[in-house]
Amino acid sequence: MAPSLYRSENVSLVQLFLPTESARATVAALGRLSTIQFRDLNPDVTPFQRSFVKEIRRLNETQRQLRYFHAEITSAGIPIKEGPSENTELINSSTVEEVMDQCNTLDSRIRQLADSSKSLNERYERLLQLRNVLIKTNAFFNQSNEGLVLSSLDESALHASHEDDDELAAPLMGSSAVELDTTTTPTTLSESGHPSIPIDFVAGVIPTAKFQYLERILWRTLRGNLYIYHVPADLPTGSNDDGLADAQTIFLVFAHGTQILSKIRKISDSLGSTLFTVEDNAARRLDQLRDVNDRIGDLSSVLDNMKNALFTELSFVADHLSHWETLLHTDKCVYQAMNLFIFDQNHKCLIAEGWCPQDNLPLVQASLRDVSQRLGSQAPTILNVLETSEVPPTYHRTNKFTEGFQSIIDSYGIASYREVNHGIVAIVTFPFLFAIMFGDLGHGAIMFAIALAFILNEKKLGAKKDLDEMVGMVFFGRYILLLMGAFSMYTGFLYNDIFSKPLSLFTSGWHWPSKASGDLLRAVEVGTYPIGVDPAWHSADNNLLFMNSYKMKLSVIFGIVHMTFCLFLSLSNYRFFKKKLDIYAVFIPSLIFLESIFGYLVVTIIYKWSVDWNGLGLRAPGLLNMLILMFLSPGTIAEPLYPGQKYVQLILLGAALICVPWLLCAKPIALYRQHKKATAPKYLSLRDSDDTAEDANLLSSVTEADPKDHEDFELGEIVIHQVIHTIEFCLGCISHTASYLRLWALSLAHNQLSTVLWNMTIANGFRMTGVSGSIAIFILFAFWFVITCAVLVAMEGTSAMLHSLRLHWVEGMSKHFEGEGYAFTPFNFIENAE
Amino acid sequence: MEALTFNTNSGYLEGLVRGYKSGLLKQHVYANLAQCETLDDFRLQLSATDYGGFLANQARLSSAIIAAQATEKLIDEYEYLRAQADEKLSKFMDYISYAYMIDNVMLMISGTAHGHDTHELLERCHPLGWFETLPTLCVATNVEELYSLVLVETPLAPYFKDCISADDLDELHIEIIRNTLYKAYLEDFYEFCKKLGGATADTMLPILEFEADCRAITITINSFGTELNKDLRSKLYPSIGRLYPYGTAILSKADNIGDVESAVSLVKEYTGFFDQTSDKSLDDHFYEMQAHLNKLSFLQQFHYGIIYSFLKLKEQEVRNITWIAECISQNQRDRAMNIVNIL
Repeated sequence: MAPSLYRSENVSLVQLFLPTESARATVAALGRLSTIQFRDLNPDVTPFQRSFVKEIRRLNETQRQLRYFHAEITSAGIPIKEGPSENTELINSSTVEEVMDQCNTLDSRIRQLADSSKSLNERYERLLQLRNVLIKTNAFFNQSNEGLVLSSLDESALHASHEDDDELAAPLMGSSAVELDTTTTPTTLSESGHPSIPIDFVAGVIPTAKFQYLERILWRTLRGNLYIYHVPADLPTGSNDDGLADAQTIFLVFAHGTQILSKIRKISDSLGSTLFTVEDNAARRLDQLRDVNDRIGDLSSVLDNMKNALFTELSFVADHLSHWETLLHTDKCVYQAMNLFIFDQNHKCLIAEGWCPQDNLPLVQASLRDVSQRLGSQAPTILNVLETSEVPPTYHRTNKFTEGFQSIIDSYGIASYREVNHGIVAIVTFPFLFAIMFGDLGHGAIMFAIALAFILNEKKLGAKKDLDEMVGMVFFGRYILLLMGAFSMYTGFLYNDIFSKPLSLFTSGWHWPSKASGDLLRAVEVGTYPIGVDPAWHSADNNLLFMNSYKMKLSVIFGIVHMTFCLFLSLSNYRFFKKKLDIYAVFIPSLIFLESIFGYLVVTIIYKWSVDWNGLGLRAPGLLNMLILMFLSPGTIAEPLYPGQKYVQLILLGAALICVPWLLCAKPIALYRQHKKATAPKYLSLRDSDDTAEDANLLSSVTEADPKDHEDFELGEIVIHQVIHTIEFCLGCISHTASYLRLWALSLAHNQLSTVLWNMTIANGFRMTGVSGSIAIFILFAFWFVITCAVLVAMEGTSAMLHSLRLHWVEGMSKHFEGEGYAFTPFNFIENAE
Repeated sequence: MEALTFNTNSGYLEGLVRGYKSGLLKQHVYANLAQCETLDDFRLQLSATDYGGFLANQARLSSAIIAAQATEKLIDEYEYLRAQADEKLSKFMDYISYAYMIDNVMLMISGTAHGHDTHELLERCHPLGWFETLPTLCVATNVEELYSLVLVETPLAPYFKDCISADDLDELHIEIIRNTLYKAYLEDFYEFCKKLGGATADTMLPILEFEADCRAITITINSFGTELNKDLRSKLYPSIGRLYPYGTAILSKADNIGDVESAVSLVKEYTGFFDQTSDKSLDDHFYEMQAHLNKLSFLQQFHYGIIYSFLKLKEQEVRNITWIAECISQNQRDRAMNIVNIL
């Protein structure tokens, strides 16, 4: 049978005998075909006891190394060369081995280089910090020496000079200044620092965020007697990957006594600061600085060399990385698939089982032959098709056009195997129901144009992997969007709406009198508009009245047609699965019930439209009341629609009422009879037999032999199921019909919203004249167009789409959809990504 | 009332926690884990669970690494919850973290007293009980200093008011401080939960009561054969719990395990704790009871208790997988299933 989109494909269970030596290449080839879903043949074996765990583990190890390379390459800022996304060459154990070996050596080499460059870098940063500390300390001492000179002259001036520096500083500096004053003279101080003063201090660098803790704890430790000087370090921030990137603060803590000093050291150390020994003599400090500068120079050249070496290695890896990644990934997927297989007794070959669409079997055969030829292997791979009683997976072959529609249906549920595929129906019904709500020629055209733009650029966009989430979604649904736009243009044309304005393509069927008679201007009908709604309605006072009545009735008609159509899909299912009983016991009563009430409503709607009530001089009868009276007081007709209406309605009501018990009871009773007939003879034969022991055997063999044929027939369950179905269907008919009124409501809302938008923005511009008018139109057009696109097309479109979705899932699919299948997930290398 | 307003601020979190809880390992996963022959198998087996690839980047495996990585994952989840919490809930979560802070402070003090390296100690500290000034605890030499230097500005400060003395930090004192702190903490947390009321109180109070009972029993048993006198000991018992006041009164006079047993038998659920016939230790009984109580809190909705319970259950899970990993690496797989069942 030719592949049909109407039902899911025939899928058969196949068994493969793969010779051990060519198994890997064969599985890889099958993975590339992506057409077999392997079954797990050792479900009882835990993951780590399977045959190829060792190989997978080695691959994992190499993949870990590759991830490490990836991280290193990214941090070094080397671009990674894009490789082929799929490995097309034959999997060959020696290439994989080679890659693994290469990765091992590279891993140790790169690790070593990275480690040593990191430790060198740390030393380098430390030296930079030290230099910074030295410079700042020098600056500080120079500054405070000036202060000291001042202090010898006037002590109060010193207080002033330091008070704004640091509040805590004042008392301590005051006392130390006094102390200094006693030991040295001002003249020596001003010349070369103060060589003879024993000022003890701790100098270090701490992350700025932690400085406040340090300050507070030290303040408490020293009982408030703290002098701490701090400046922000000017180190290159945002440096390498080690945590030194944060802002740093240089601090100097002054204190006396070795015990206290060691305590300070301990505290600062524990808070994560780096301490340096800084000479207290200015000259020696300069020496130290010079020394540090030399070392920095040496170190930076070594560091540069190291980094260059690392860079060379990494660029080599970067060229191959993505190729290696796909290679290993493919190999890993192959082993994972092979873990599902079993060995035959001789360990000569692997046995695999899987589901494969029948139409793809020749393709699989060809590829198997191809692989064994290319490998030149002696034993060919054998493929058997197995008979099975299991239900195969559901496989809908899709193309880029049907893909989107299929996914709409699949996200509700996977259809049962070989059930009618609603996805194929949805290609027309989905955009059409959408368009009834979204009907506007202009908005539809915008949507159509967007979808068209995506479709024309689909090759370019499809190749891009990192589409924005929103854009990606629109891109995926581009064909849905295209049809939605096209259908909306059509309905918009029928509604005669373009951006809420009418389109006067043909001469209107209404003629406005040139002279007003009183307040009311009444148009006279002179003809019929050829197609769609007459543009004259747009400016009429009773426009809403007319459109509402029209759209409401239209949505009821479409609703019932849609439901009837979906009900007939269930007939197609019953016929395909040869379920005669369901046709007589479910389909026919359902159809009669639906049509005798709501089908009748549709007929009367159309009848009412086709009669010229004004011409007959009659008041048009209300259909709503008619339907209500049909139930509440059968036989009474308030406003007659046609002669003999009373009897027709009584018959229809009677037919509908009969259908309820029919739907409720027929199927359970019939099934019960069938069951009795099936089981009765077996009991008889047992009773006839003489030997009681044999009886027991027979009984057990009967129950064991065919547990699937009529496994535990439970009348209760069937009855409950049927009761639920009956209630759901009968009530559903009413509520679903009402639900289709959303077509009218959304269409109305959309139309009104676009009218309001027009009137509030661009219509104002048309009222102005001259230059200001043209400027206003220029600005207002922008307003109007942006809001049209954002609100009317994007937001309203989304909402109408969701409603259309619901009408399919709930109102449409409930009439026929079973959805008890499971999706066909073929083995391939894309899906199997970890 | 809670049902009306709870979800405004915390509904998302409750959903999250319930999601996390459904990721806890089930019995059959433990059974599979226990069958692993090497830690590599162990990693493979765990990768099928919620833990996923959490060990994928480890070149070498050991039970310590597994425990560290699992804890890190737990902390990540907890921190995520913490970041989403509103004021009341974050206060509740702060209370949870105080217990870990106490543990960390005690670890630092006793470690320093024994001359361990500060950085090594810091690594062993529990991340939930971390606070910025924790490292500076190593400079303190007596309780007074400890308090006035560091702890005065931590939330633990109020708990310290009962144990400020200039005593040196020796072994016994550290234990006394720890238990006094913990007693004050438990009572405070208990009051807080009571104040929150509603389902939070319903679930948290029994858990905290049991926690208090556990401490009372443990303190008593550990005090046998030490210098701790009975008077001082009775001061360490939390004034909450099902053993309080009658059970603790007996405990305070206890001289041996038999006395403890008779005190504990006042509560029906605790009677099995000293059953010699089962091969479970007292700690196992405690853990089991704790896991049971924590599981109960998931039966109620609209309360904070599940966050506490999730944390505790997950910790138990980490203990379990660490134990199994340890058994595997020491080749004692027959003992691997001696774990506390959670689900």
